Amino acid sequence: MANDIYKGSRILLVEDEETLALGLEYNLIEEGYTVKWAENGKEAVEFYESEKFDLVILDIMLPYLDGFEIAERIRSSDPQMPILMLTAKAESADRIKGLETGADDYLTKPFHLDELLLRVKGMLKRKSWYKNASKKQPNYKFGNNEINFENLNCRHGENELRLTPQEAVLLKYLVERKGEIVTRKELLENVWHLNPEIETRTVDIFIVRLRKYFEEDPSNPVYFKSIRGAGYIFSGD
Amino acid sequence: MRGKNSLFYHILIFVVAQLVWLSLLGIWIYWYVRNYLVYEKVGEEVSPQLIYDVQNALPFILGLILLIGLSFITSLIFRHLNVQLKITRLYDNFIGNVTHELKSPLSSIQLYLETLKQRNVPPEKQKEFFEMMTKDANRLQSLINSILEVSAHEKGKLAYDYEVYYADTIIKNILEESFERFRVAKENYKIIGKADCEIRIGRDALKIVFDNLIDNSLKYSVKKPFIEVKIDCSHNNLMVEFADNGIGIVPKEQKKIFNKFYRIYSHDIPSVKGTGLGLYRVKELIKTHRGKITVNSEGEGKGTTFRIELPIYRGEKNQLLKNF
Repeated sequence: MANDIYKGSRILLVEDEETLALGLEYNLIEEGYTVKWAENGKEAVEFYESEKFDLVILDIMLPYLDGFEIAERIRSSDPQMPILMLTAKAESADRIKGLETGADDYLTKPFHLDELLLRVKGMLKRKSWYKNASKKQPNYKFGNNEINFENLNCRHGENELRLTPQEAVLLKYLVERKGEIVTRKELLENVWHLNPEIETRTVDIFIVRLRKYFEEDPSNPVYFKSIRGAGYIFSGD
Repeated sequence: MRGKNSLFYHILIFVVAQLVWLSLLGIWIYWYVRNYLVYEKVGEEVSPQLIYDVQNALPFILGLILLIGLSFITSLIFRHLNVQLKITRLYDNFIGNVTHELKSPLSSIQLYLETLKQRNVPPEKQKEFFEMMTKDANRLQSLINSILEVSAHEKGKLAYDYEVYYADTIIKNILEESFERFRVAKENYKIIGKADCEIRIGRDALKIVFDNLIDNSLKYSVKKPFIEVKIDCSHNNLMVEFADNGIGIVPKEQKKIFNKFYRIYSHDIPSVKGTGLGLYRVKELIKTHRGKITVNSEGEGKGTTFRIELPIYRGEKNQLLKNF
């Protein structure tokens, strides 16, 4: 059963496979969440625009509109909505595309029930932690970078960009531990709420993205440094 | 993306190879002409009585033939490579599609098993879960069978039980079964006409054909689907025509849709599931019935019509006549 504070969280489940969707719906309801099931892309957009949700579970191969397009639409209206992509597409190119279009997490079919529920809980936890953390310090500056943790808009010199929620959570976590060495294991456990034994590359992919956004020379990082054999250290000024 | 890159590299290799051959040819001509002139000059000076006849041109002509021959062989190899590349790409897509089609029901079965293991599921819900799992297992079985059947059919190892039926009854029965299987509501399809003749068919084979055509009409439809099936017996053939209001097929694609692994992509419906074997299987099954299938569509958004023609049975009268 999900923690009481997350009980009643509204989940939009976008899945066109009826049997899988009904099984997922049952389990999520058992965990205390409220679930709305959309069986195609069009329905997903309609439901999303007419109702409020706390999290979206999204398949990629959908009739009418695919999951990538739906993720982009959701991101353009709500940069902080947690999106979990749940798909049979296991190629790394699909995974990267999914994360780039705005998904916060990516789980491939077939999956274990425990892992899915853990990820859903982790994403809701992250959302609520982030909401509180960004209220305390909505704006942050380092070097010629400026970040607004509320609307996720950033400025790097003259360039403007928008972070995905997952990137923002990672950045916030590093900023709060400025000057400290943060291990990959710690990041996976506290930022992704994942088992560090299973996931290895996720953290590195996101650090590379932060370097690309905020470093003058991403191959010689000044702010997001790797500490060999230990992890990463953020050194803002 | 990977496919496009390899095609680019192969074209590049082909162009470079041709340039090398042409350069060699140039060098060969240059070398021959230069030496010929030298020999002619020296020959005239040393031995003016020597006559340069046609035989001297032989090495030149042979060299040219050799180079042109090699160039031609390179072109053949390139063409063969290109065909192989296309097949590999189609095969890769097929593997990707099949994997996807296998993973979805498998995930569902795994999810229900884990749910039953971890939760206290009430008995009535358990029954529902078992039904879902059976449905997914059937789906897996049907997918695996379709792949195996295509392979068996190609090797000539697949045989259907052919029997003689009264066409109107059997066709309408199979059609109703197929519409029911895909849960097509009565208002979304119409069967018109009467097939007052006899046909000799494999019932299971024809069911596969109708299932595939109906499934495609439903999958490739943006608006509410409507399928009209016309049946008729005229001259020597039974005609069954499936017309839908789906996304249609552009003429260029109409020629390819019966090819093995070929799939249509439409921006209107980006993620249609399937293996690319359906229409190939349909065409092969119709062929085994000595019939033919054709497609007609006025283009994108204008629906598609598939027309099946099967020979009317006019065989021995004492053969078993079945109604259904």
